[in-house]
Amino acid sequence: MIDDKHVIDQLPAYALGSLDDEEAVQVSDHLSVCSECRSELETYQTVAAQLALAGVESNPPPSLKNNLFDQLQIPQTTKSRDEGKERRWLVPRVLTVWSMVSLLLILALAVGSIFMWQRINQLEQSARPGGMYSFALIGTEILPQAAGYLIVGADGRNGAVIVDKLPLLDADKEYQLWLIREGEFTSGALLAVDEMGYGGRRVSAPDNLLTYSAVSMTVEPAGGSPNPTGEVVLVGTLTNP
Amino acid sequence: MDYSKLDDEVLIRLIVADNADSLSELYDRYNRLVFSLALNIVGNPGTAEEITLDVFTQIWEKAGTYQPEKAKVSTWMTTITRNRSIDVLRRRKSRPERLSADLFQLPSDHLSQDENLEDNAQAALQRERVREAVAQLPEDQREALQLAFFKGYTHRQIADVLDLPLGTVKTRIRLAMGKLRKILVD
Repeated sequence: MIDDKHVIDQLPAYALGSLDDEEAVQVSDHLSVCSECRSELETYQTVAAQLALAGVESNPPPSLKNNLFDQLQIPQTTKSRDEGKERRWLVPRVLTVWSMVSLLLILALAVGSIFMWQRINQLEQSARPGGMYSFALIGTEILPQAAGYLIVGADGRNGAVIVDKLPLLDADKEYQLWLIREGEFTSGALLAVDEMGYGGRRVSAPDNLLTYSAVSMTVEPAGGSPNPTGEVVLVGTLTNP
Repeated sequence: MDYSKLDDEVLIRLIVADNADSLSELYDRYNRLVFSLALNIVGNPGTAEEITLDVFTQIWEKAGTYQPEKAKVSTWMTTITRNRSIDVLRRRKSRPERLSADLFQLPSDHLSQDENLEDNAQAALQRERVREAVAQLPEDQREALQLAFFKGYTHRQIADVLDLPLGTVKTRIRLAMGKLRKILVD
């Protein structure tokens, strides 16, 4: 229950930055010890941020985007949104002989990776046994239920990726893991999933895996692509130790 | 790779990895919001352009400081833009004054040119929702709220500008924010 000691009445103005300095310090001091008021404040901050949407709208000059990329000295390579509209999302179809063979391999891999999941749980319970690292991969907007882990050995030379809840692909498609550094994508692994959406693969790259800063996974033609071309299904950040 | 289907948080993660295409996509999504907010605050297109460049530069250089558990990406960007713009305004040290025009836009009966596209529909609906909520505020509360939000004035400065008792200004802003909260959040 919120009582008179709280600073509820000042929170709307605090969220807008409209309190005098002295009042703002008092509120700030109270917030540092009161989770109830902090929670209230977050609500008002959400309201304040939305006020920007109610303002009169104007477009910046089209040249401003080029100015930004020039200023940052980075190349602007994105295709237009219309070009990007080419969708090639895939649904399970008839399994070919090749995919049956793949499925058997995947099932074998899935059994093996049960033990790896147990290892992951141990990783989470005990801090980095043997110096290993685990990085969570999250599903993107098109597959929010998908998840995965990238496991990297202590010296960064070996790694494995495990994924869950990804759709089974047609035989002419594969998932491809990309290691990202300074905007450059390097292929790290090709993998498929079983009918339960589960799969795993060893990750290899020309450089130490811990030198990359992020990973993503896309759907690519079987055999992989030199650069990502398809839907992004998973992404994660490698927070280097 | 099609970045238009990635959500904001994923783009930020990729920007941390210096992925320029993700910055490009984030710019396409939010340049209008950032520029409009800056222009509404500083009132000068050239300065608003500089602020827009500063905001996206900061996002490129400091995406690693974004904390998803604290705010949505759009909220984070709006906060950066407003703080930067109000800093510019305060450096001018000009005397606080009333607004010459209403900076809140009234809700429209129809979606504008590109807002029927799937990508923009959700943002357009949210924008209309906020505008309808603001339109429901009494005129005196709207005016005080605009001075606080778009000009960064304190209660005391608003009271001076509107020639009102301090307590009246505090009440107007508290009531306005309370009503918006009920409509938009609760």
